[in-house]
Amino acid sequence: MKVIWALALKDIRILLRDKFGFFFTFFFPLAIAILFGVIFSGDSGSSKIGICVVDEDQTEQSLQFATALDSSNALEVTTCSREEAEDLVRRGTSTAYVVIKKGFGEASQHFFWGDPPTVELGVDPARQAEAGMLQGILTQSAANRFETLFSDPEIMNENLNLARDSITQSTKFNQEEQSRWLQFFNDLDWITTQQQVTASEEDVYQGVEPIRIENVDVVIQREGPANSFSITFPQGIIWGLIGCTAAFSISLVVERTRGTLIRLLMSPVGRMQILGGKALACFLTTFSMSIVILLIAFFIFDVIPASLPMLVIALFSVSLAFVGMMMLLSVLGKTERSAGSLWSVLLIFAMLGGGMIPLFTMPSWMRTISHFSPIKWAILAMEGALWRQFTVREMLLPSGILIGIGIAFFMIGLRMFRWSAE
Amino acid sequence: MLIFHHVIKQFDSIIAVNDLTLKIRKGEIFGLLGPNGAGKTTAVNLAVGILKPDKGYVEMESIGSPESRAVRAKIGVATQALALYDDLTGQENLDFFGRMQGIGKLQLKERVNWTLDFAGLFDRRKDRVKTYSGGMKRRLNLAIALLHSPSLLLLDEPTVGVDPQSRNAIFESIMHLNKEGHTILYTTHYIEEAQRLCDHVGILDHGKLLALDTVKNLIDKYGGESTILAEYEDREEKIQTRQPVKDLEKLMKRGSIRHFHMESPSLEGVFLKLTGKQLRDDA
Repeated sequence: MKVIWALALKDIRILLRDKFGFFFTFFFPLAIAILFGVIFSGDSGSSKIGICVVDEDQTEQSLQFATALDSSNALEVTTCSREEAEDLVRRGTSTAYVVIKKGFGEASQHFFWGDPPTVELGVDPARQAEAGMLQGILTQSAANRFETLFSDPEIMNENLNLARDSITQSTKFNQEEQSRWLQFFNDLDWITTQQQVTASEEDVYQGVEPIRIENVDVVIQREGPANSFSITFPQGIIWGLIGCTAAFSISLVVERTRGTLIRLLMSPVGRMQILGGKALACFLTTFSMSIVILLIAFFIFDVIPASLPMLVIALFSVSLAFVGMMMLLSVLGKTERSAGSLWSVLLIFAMLGGGMIPLFTMPSWMRTISHFSPIKWAILAMEGALWRQFTVREMLLPSGILIGIGIAFFMIGLRMFRWSAE
Repeated sequence: MLIFHHVIKQFDSIIAVNDLTLKIRKGEIFGLLGPNGAGKTTAVNLAVGILKPDKGYVEMESIGSPESRAVRAKIGVATQALALYDDLTGQENLDFFGRMQGIGKLQLKERVNWTLDFAGLFDRRKDRVKTYSGGMKRRLNLAIALLHSPSLLLLDEPTVGVDPQSRNAIFESIMHLNKEGHTILYTTHYIEEAQRLCDHVGILDHGKLLALDTVKNLIDKYGGESTILAEYEDREEKIQTRQPVKDLEKLMKRGSIRHFHMESPSLEGVFLKLTGKQLRDDA
């Protein structure tokens, strides 16, 4: 074991002295994580959805609805014309637009008949993940308005009087129907008046409540990352892992071409010890790099792991997978130059696996392909430990796949391994 | 000390070592002389056990095959390629390879300092190897082979690409080590090196050992005759002879010699005679 440690420490020392390699192993991933974290979090530090609101009704009710949307913590609202709104969404500047259609205000006054107030929602097809959230916010805003109208007895009485007048003047109803509706409104009126007289302070009349909608803050209560850095730091770590893997696979090729591997073989050291030392160095570097970056994320960017044991399992399996990849890449590159170009293999994996852009933005066929990228499972394992709140059972799948990849790639690399360049 | 017994090593269709039989005696410097591609490095790799013979065997006398780690621990190798870590200092390289040889912590420091001193690199020990000259790297390469005080030293073309000063320093080191009792296998394609350093020389070409003897005996046997070129006032005369002194006297009696040149047979001639080609046609 002493020999393996000595071999590993030698490799780590060499890596630390290689300023270029060190940059790509530690600083580049950190820069990526912070940069994208800041971009995705916006100026205010929250992930608001940018929408355009088009008020075609221009009534008091439509204005109130637009104001309600604007006051939502989850939305960044701008007011514009329909053409501008459609254009902004088409160009991807805004996530969606909401058109408050003509007749919104009038429809808002009919609680019991007629068409409901209508809005038109146009969402960028590439941002479907936010569409559901947006629909929730719109429904919530409408429900808030409904609740306010029903909970205020004065407004309620006023609306009931309007309803009586409408029924009396309407030609759509026969006499019996008119009579039943008027009786219903009178009963409501009586309930409203009685409740005002008899109810206690705590039990004050809350009005007719056709549907109860919990005042849910969608941004806070939905299951998801605490902030954008929880997503970008795993991605940043992926870049660090790629840097480490490339650096160590190149160093193995360099050792082969310069003859140090042969020299090591000439000493009383076993072949497995030599490769074990290289694997240990790669494992220690990837593991410690991930820890250092996550510590920075924890102390500076409020990225708090959901589970530390899960995080250890995730990082262990991720590091193991990358050790396997290092071994395989080192046999695919015959010269230092060709080994250097093997970055591209890792980049393709990163591209397919969500290391560059989040998987949810990809079309479904690409998400299917991503299953073949170790990067996808690496990100999933880290996210599982950081904010997806994976149980041990849920963690088994990504970790198992990563450990399997690590062992399989290492064995293939071992089988194909050449000690000499000649 | 080291025995090759009818060793054959083949890579695909190329026979790198072909029925090689030789014995290196304890305390001697044995030279393996041959052009590039003759099979010298393959022989070294067989001697240190990282290659297995297809036929025959290699063993260290009364110890066993160098394929065993215990036997390998008694062999030091200065590889032809400068197998060093450029980003480590000279001292760190020695320290690392010393650990690989299993030298204990206390002894390691002492051995590292001794080899640094021996290689004349003590003052530069804390500099990274990438800042060393070619000669310094060669000396460090040799120093690594000496770290664990091996009883057998394999030096594979240790002076390739070295300036004359460093080459002389390496020669002196080798002779010093030999005086201290180290047995040395020295491969080279420089005839003058073999002639200067080696007690016995084996001439290798296409993996086959063409001749093996002391340098003197090889020259006597295969070197042919000495050549004397005598310049008179009006003519030149060139003769081949096995008795150059006597024949020079005869030439002097034929007239007044203004200038003469005598060329003794050398290993170059031996090689030419044995292989029909110059030794360093591609060197």
